[in-house]
Amino acid sequence: MPRDTLTVLSDDALLVLYANGDADAARTLTLRLLPRVLGYATRLLGDRAEAEDIAQEAMLRLWRVAGAWRQGEAKVSSWLYRVATNLCTDRQRARQRRRSEALEDVPEPVDDAAGVEAQMIDADRMAALTAALATLPDRQREAVVLRHIEGLTNPEIAVILEIGVEAVESLTARGKRALAAALAGRKDALGYEERV
Amino acid sequence: MSGMTETEMTDAELDALFAEAATLPDPSAALVARVLADADAERLLRLQPQPRPPATPKPGFWARLADMFGGGGALAGMASAAVAGLYFGFVQPEGLTTLTGIVTGDFASSLSVGLTGDTSVDSVDLMPGIDALLTEE
Repeated sequence: MPRDTLTVLSDDALLVLYANGDADAARTLTLRLLPRVLGYATRLLGDRAEAEDIAQEAMLRLWRVAGAWRQGEAKVSSWLYRVATNLCTDRQRARQRRRSEALEDVPEPVDDAAGVEAQMIDADRMAALTAALATLPDRQREAVVLRHIEGLTNPEIAVILEIGVEAVESLTARGKRALAAALAGRKDALGYEERV
Repeated sequence: MSGMTETEMTDAELDALFAEAATLPDPSAALVARVLADADAERLLRLQPQPRPPATPKPGFWARLADMFGGGGALAGMASAAVAGLYFGFVQPEGLTTLTGIVTGDFASSLSVGLTGDTSVDSVDLMPGIDALLTEE
């Protein structure tokens, strides 16, 4: 199928085309979805290299599920966000395990707030945001990123996180407050000082 | 929070930060190539003829026999009937002998009281015990 035609097709139509052997459909889907899943994983993990691994793995799972995909039943992007969320959670748990195993080698546990502050001094605004996001509990971080950065609706987030819409509202509200608190006093680092 | 201080982020500032963060990253060419290589490998894997599932082993003697009679339960019933038949064949209970004698025509041996020597079926006394009781009265 000509590429121009492919670009106007929906994600799940492209996925079905790919499942039927259309290599160009995979390329169109990759160009459409990979930046989103990569950006999402980067915000959750705060590490671009790890996020690339997660994005590749999430896309691989999409290719594998293509043959069994039923058009119209689920949104491809929501499915991909959910897979990426779970992969990131696994990655973070593995990190925590490694950290706790290596605890004896670390002089003192680093206080989160102090860590955020230290990073904000030198880093740019996005690094400051990533560091502040890292201080949130997993579910709050996921909800805030999906709602405020990925721009998804609460019902979409509910599907991705497999929780109720009310729980999403609560998580995003608490997450946003916690984020504001984590960034408190750092307006100068973020470049907002003069505007207040 | 009501006690927001000047140093805390306002909603507008936070939203501006979010908007900035919403800019999608450009995946590196290497990552795109890796993802497309995965897609191609999976696509080719799917296009290959699927290996035929291993042939199911032929059902055994008992399974085929059970199928012939409509399942294991029916076979069990058949087996019970066969055992009962063998039992009756060897033991030959009296009542049953009378009955089979009538059926086969060899009823003379099954007659006890009231037999006149006439071998017609009319003379068969199916309830010999009653005659004995009448005689005593």
